Amino acid sequence: MIASGRIGTDVPRVDGLEKVTGAAQYTADLKFPRLLHVAVVRSPHPHARVLDVRTEKALRMPGVRAVVSGRDFPLHTGIYLKDQTVFATDRVRFVGDPVAAVAAETPEAALEAAALVAVDYEPLPPIFDVEEGIADGAPLVHPDLGSYEVVPWIRPKSGTNVCNHLKIRKGDYASALAGSWRVFENVFRVPQVQHVPMEPHVSVARVDLAGKVEVHTSAQSPFTVRHLLAACFGLSHGDVRVHVPYVGGGFGGKAGINLEPIAVALAMRCRGRWVRFMVDRHEEFYATVVRQGLTATLVTGVDRSGKVQAQKMHYLWNCGAYGGYGVNIVRSAGYTCGGAYEFPNVEGDSIGVYTNRPVGSAYRGFGMQEIHWALEQQMDKVALEIGMDPVEFRLLNALGAGKATVTGQVLDEHAGRVDLCIRSVADEIGMDPGRQKTPYRGKGIACAVKAPAMPNDAASSVVMKFAEDATLEILIAGIDYGQGLMTVVAQFAAEALDIPVEMVRVRGCPDTDLSPYDWQTVASRQTWATGNAVLRGAEEIRRKLCDTAGEALGVPASELILRGGAVVHEATGRSLPLARLVMGYQFPDGHAIGGPVASATSYLPEGLLFLDPETSQSAKPVAKWTFGAQAVEISVDPETGQVTVERIAACYDVGRVVNPGLIRGQTYGGIVQGLGTGMMEELLVDTKTGRAMNASLMDYKIPSTEDVPAEMVVDFVETPQKDGPMGARGIGEHTMIPTPAAIANALYDACGIRISEMPITAEKVWRALKEKERAASEAGVAPAVPASVTA
Amino acid sequence: MKKTITLEVNGVPETAEVEVGTTLLRFLRDGLDLTGAKEGCNEGECGSCMVLLDGRPVNSCLVLAVEASGRRVTTIEGLSKDDVLHPLQKAFLSHAAIQCGFCTPGMIVSAAALLREKPEPSEDDVRKALAGNLCRCTGYRQIVDAVHSAAAEMRAAASVGGNGNADAGKPAACEEVTA
Amino acid sequence: MPSDLDFLSPTSVDEAIALKAVPGTAWLLGGTDLLPQMRAGRKAPGRLVDLKRIPGLHEIREVADGGLSIGAAVPLADVEVHPDVLDRFPLLAECAKTVGAWPLRQRATLAGNLCNASPAADTAVALLALEAEVEVASTVGRRTIPIREFFLGPGLSALEPGELVTAVVLPGASAGFRGSYLRLSRRKGMDLATVGVLVGKSNGTLPARWRVALAAVAPTPLRLRAVEELLEAKGAAAASEAAEAARLACRPITDLRGSAEYRREMVGVLVRRGALSLG
Repeated sequence: MIASGRIGTDVPRVDGLEKVTGAAQYTADLKFPRLLHVAVVRSPHPHARVLDVRTEKALRMPGVRAVVSGRDFPLHTGIYLKDQTVFATDRVRFVGDPVAAVAAETPEAALEAAALVAVDYEPLPPIFDVEEGIADGAPLVHPDLGSYEVVPWIRPKSGTNVCNHLKIRKGDYASALAGSWRVFENVFRVPQVQHVPMEPHVSVARVDLAGKVEVHTSAQSPFTVRHLLAACFGLSHGDVRVHVPYVGGGFGGKAGINLEPIAVALAMRCRGRWVRFMVDRHEEFYATVVRQGLTATLVTGVDRSGKVQAQKMHYLWNCGAYGGYGVNIVRSAGYTCGGAYEFPNVEGDSIGVYTNRPVGSAYRGFGMQEIHWALEQQMDKVALEIGMDPVEFRLLNALGAGKATVTGQVLDEHAGRVDLCIRSVADEIGMDPGRQKTPYRGKGIACAVKAPAMPNDAASSVVMKFAEDATLEILIAGIDYGQGLMTVVAQFAAEALDIPVEMVRVRGCPDTDLSPYDWQTVASRQTWATGNAVLRGAEEIRRKLCDTAGEALGVPASELILRGGAVVHEATGRSLPLARLVMGYQFPDGHAIGGPVASATSYLPEGLLFLDPETSQSAKPVAKWTFGAQAVEISVDPETGQVTVERIAACYDVGRVVNPGLIRGQTYGGIVQGLGTGMMEELLVDTKTGRAMNASLMDYKIPSTEDVPAEMVVDFVETPQKDGPMGARGIGEHTMIPTPAAIANALYDACGIRISEMPITAEKVWRALKEKERAASEAGVAPAVPASVTA
Repeated sequence: MKKTITLEVNGVPETAEVEVGTTLLRFLRDGLDLTGAKEGCNEGECGSCMVLLDGRPVNSCLVLAVEASGRRVTTIEGLSKDDVLHPLQKAFLSHAAIQCGFCTPGMIVSAAALLREKPEPSEDDVRKALAGNLCRCTGYRQIVDAVHSAAAEMRAAASVGGNGNADAGKPAACEEVTA
Repeated sequence: MPSDLDFLSPTSVDEAIALKAVPGTAWLLGGTDLLPQMRAGRKAPGRLVDLKRIPGLHEIREVADGGLSIGAAVPLADVEVHPDVLDRFPLLAECAKTVGAWPLRQRATLAGNLCNASPAADTAVALLALEAEVEVASTVGRRTIPIREFFLGPGLSALEPGELVTAVVLPGASAGFRGSYLRLSRRKGMDLATVGVLVGKSNGTLPARWRVALAAVAPTPLRLRAVEELLEAKGAAAASEAAEAARLACRPITDLRGSAEYRREMVGVLVRRGALSLG
């Protein structure tokens, strides 16, 4: 039986006190004896053959303890596609590709020694754009692609730059297109952007004299780090131990494996010493990972009612130099290519292309913000071109119960209600079609959908145990890097066992030697997966407590309930406080029963099925969908092109609001991060040199307090998720998906221009307005209907 | 080259030998084990390293430890005293103004400096004062709300204090930043 | 940072000047530019001479002609809220408060902002408009550099090696100018200007005197005397004409913050707006 009061209420963060006092320790805050410092020798070339690496001089420098390079560590790593070595061996593939590394007694000595490593390169022709990358005869970034180890559901094409290609073939696209009333084709682009977590990546490693590897790292996934380190260095998992203290933001950039192999490689050459590899903010931008770029070509055929009949989606992903993780974004974008809509006839192709740019990887939304940028503008354009209200057009084509996704999965009534989200935000912003229009003020809407993109067997587990005073300790290995996992875990457990949240301690900084297994903290899956494992654990604990209490009280265990920190027999009013049960119950005569109460439980998504390799049709390719929508009102300064987001409304069907303060925080945070990528962020790469041109916080701007919209209104729909803990489903990533597209649509509404390539900068808007004016004057008429201009 | 510095950190006198090139941030973190101030960019762009220097908010990555000699430094660790939190710390907790927590110490320190200068800040005052403290998680809304709420609480406490009800239990280091 | 870096904190200007005679010595004021440059290896002084312990450099004081002298070590955060600055030289406060973020301005100084000679220096436009004078001292003696002669190019100023800026003086004759600093940047807070335009007008004098100065659209901050004369002759009614003249007078480049073309056009837009707002 479920008590109430702890779910849906503002329980303060359980890690909050540590974080406001400065007590919370992040990886760089940890103290290690005689720490060694790392500097990395990075490729200055975007693409080159490595002819020779000479490290002798560096090794001879005073204070240097180890110098390692590619020939020392030839094994490949990569979470889905093993296409990367610790250091470049025969070839470098982007400016920043690690070639060698030094561990030294001081950071200065490490840097000096790194400068003494001599590398001979033979430059090769680089490619930076996806169009170049897929062209016949393009230089190959990975000539050995065909020999790489890869999971069965990722399909690299040997002899090309294509690291994955997912095809969706649903219905009969060609016939449907031929039969369409009107057809629209548009191209949209998204550049590479960087995560910019406030805490840059850092990993500390030691290999002890017995050969056991120990790592402290700022990472989203301790067990995946362990798994990949073991593979990369040919070790037993049993000899690799990974600790993750508090993490200062990740947003996908700390998923999978990042700095850890370099730290471990050095540690192997100076056993017994701790080696810390901490990138500076500049390296963070170009040498860790970035979000992939996208070129999306969409074709939409509609019938006279406004129903989309034929939809083609061609997504070309700029994966950068390595695609070990990015290949799954390509896949995810493929099976979600139709967004929140029902398209009966689909031709979808999601293609990942290697280039000589920084490495693409997971980023909050996992491809979804990028494809929604294209899809949601396309939907708007089509609606307006056929004279329909964009809100009505969306509702007409929206997915919902009984409708089929692009993979042919028919949604049931538990799947979430995008229609309610659309109506909520449209009402909030006032998008009724008859509204009074003000020049250079506009309103726009965009939907969002995402499923967890993960292997079908991605699992979470928890260990629950009691201290003597009945404090409940919960060990998890999901990472709370801000989203509030530790707090919601405490809430679920407290609710299920009817104990105060204050009696729960969530051990949220995992240690793979001691913590239960968790696949990764990604995919907006933790509240859902770990939450489910916690509820299962609570049930096991309840059963054990009731069994012991039943025996102690001489009543059937089935008649007992947990209430207010005690096991209660309602019929007789007798009860036992948990503190008398958790370590075993002792009878008056001295004999004891039961024993320390604990549980170990897990959750693994059930019934997931692979996609068909040719058509990607599958009745259940993913565990769940979370739908939502955002609408914005903006004003445009027509002379400067500056866009101000005045108000923004967001609504998501989250199944169940577990903690209103935390979920609002996720939503505000997502909106503002979305506003950043939508309006100001782009990692610029010089196509002559391959170098990142704005790899600093001075040159790459993320939103500050002053950029936040004056008003952000957040609403939630609660259609319970059938397999969600107390009905909850994931929300972390979804909050940043629709923001840029909603702004783009509002921009069109405000002044009749479209920016097809993110971000919507003032200068682009200014140019588009000028172009529109020029076109109008050439046509000799003032445009009565806003003209569509692509900037 | 090493220099001897003498300064007061969170009310405690400290004397240390430091390299001239050592920043105040590195000295606080490595020399005094005060790791609440964080290194996020090392060039004054992110604000994660914010501390008070003679009551002024400064990016401690842009201050040399030798420059701080003879001065008073307050870090996040100095804002609470034992179990008594600064009103801003309480407000950040109650407003869900924290996520990953990496920017939180710097954000609270900047806000403390603001409230010392402007006990009743406008929305614009708060946003402008915190524009040098980047946060990638929260979207800032709850942070700004928390600052307003703490300001109100501190004004109320000050007026009560004015009526002769001394602010019992208020941490000593708070005086410096809230007075 | 080099391990042999030395640090000295003189308590008088003369002492500071004498210390600078050793090659490889750099002045240290707020350090908000110098320290990142040293860390990036763009500057490598062997010793730093901290000017912040020189008592006289911390003052904002009235001078004989009714103007204000702002000591080299006064942080911008103090300049922007100083009652005399707000009352008589509000254009300087307008510009000062756009530099970096508030905590950065607790360290960054007016003198430091000038000495960098950045084309985008926000305070430079106010000083140009207010006809400030830069007081410098060296072993040779003291001299005053009119601000119009100060900026020579990106990173280049009229300071001779060994010359120390001790104060920036705002002449009494420039008191009372009102106006606004219109500024475009990629994000609203804490960003370098893509374009900065200061338009000011004297208060109470007849005929009105005008000031127009620009940031980030030429190798140096620019004052546009011809545009000012146009406005003085015709008033705000000539805003569009003034805008066009300013547009033609600026010499912007294309960089990460914006294209030359956009910057030039924005100069026109902002000069017109600034002039109209003072009509």
